[in-house]
Amino acid sequence: MLPLINALTALLNHWFAAPIVAVMTTLGIHPAHSTHPITNPITMQLIVMALLILFFLAARISLNVEKPNSIQHTAEFIHEFVSNQAEQVIGHGYERFMPFVTTILLFVLICNFFGLLPGFETPTADPVAPLGIAILTFIYYNFHGVRVQGPLNYVKHFAGPIWWISWLMFPIEIISHLARIMSLTIRLFANMLASDLITLVAFSLIPIVVPVLGLGLHFAVSLIQAYIFMLLAMIYLAMAVTHEEEASI
Amino acid sequence: MRRLQYLFMTLSMLCLATPAFAQSAGGGSSSLVPVGAGIGMGIAAGLCGIGQGRAAGSASEAVARNPGARPAIMLFLVLGLAFIESLSLFTFVIILLKAK
Repeated sequence: MLPLINALTALLNHWFAAPIVAVMTTLGIHPAHSTHPITNPITMQLIVMALLILFFLAARISLNVEKPNSIQHTAEFIHEFVSNQAEQVIGHGYERFMPFVTTILLFVLICNFFGLLPGFETPTADPVAPLGIAILTFIYYNFHGVRVQGPLNYVKHFAGPIWWISWLMFPIEIISHLARIMSLTIRLFANMLASDLITLVAFSLIPIVVPVLGLGLHFAVSLIQAYIFMLLAMIYLAMAVTHEEEASI
Repeated sequence: MRRLQYLFMTLSMLCLATPAFAQSAGGGSSSLVPVGAGIGMGIAAGLCGIGQGRAAGSASEAVARNPGARPAIMLFLVLGLAFIESLSLFTFVIILLKAK
């Protein structure tokens, strides 16, 4: 399967390398390899994206009240799990954010599971993928915070409850909000890279049976990290959207 | 007296160890980065272990006292573990960046 991915990456580079490099250069970003800017992790992310779109399309087309099929059962299970969590964390009005957090959960989960295939590097072990999701989350929760509370109230929310200490609180809050991007990125990226490395080290020490334990660890870490990424996105949303003051995480 | 004995034992160990230090420094090509990485990662992992152990212990106590509050406690436990763990992961990333 690895040659297939390599071939797909080469094909994508053949088609899209020139326009992508042109767009990136106008934005002031210079890719490391100007002839092949698309790497294997990006191809795998595109595959995961296509799989997710196919899954949701199939679930939508085969919706049936009388005789639900297996795809519908899976989709309902995922929806129930995510909506339980969202109701617990965000509370009233959580339905609006369901598509975003469900997509985060499934995308991160399937990207992490890609690393279980032998010979593959995990797409999320490339810092670019978690960074993209983290920046998207940052924009999303700030947008909804501004939408719900209004621009002035949202900015006032940064200053804290006590007015005479707000000159100190304001920069600290801004920095801590920006640090969320960094911490979300590094948490996912470092976890997946570490579990990849553990499998690799186990493989180089004893090539039989023992690496499977590393893969088991990778499986557990994948599940937990996808769950945590979704949970943190929900918590940031909840903190941006709710009106009353909460303890900052 | 006991303390002095320990001190002299440690000093004698250090005297014996100087050839080893001289060797690593005299080699020129070998660097101390792996040693520093090992020590730093060891400290980070150990302290992270203490923190996570305390969190998990408190969570299991809380569940034992009030089994009804299990979902909320699990939520906070997983979150807390993620935040504690990310601190040692920062160390890991710094080591990755520095130990190229």
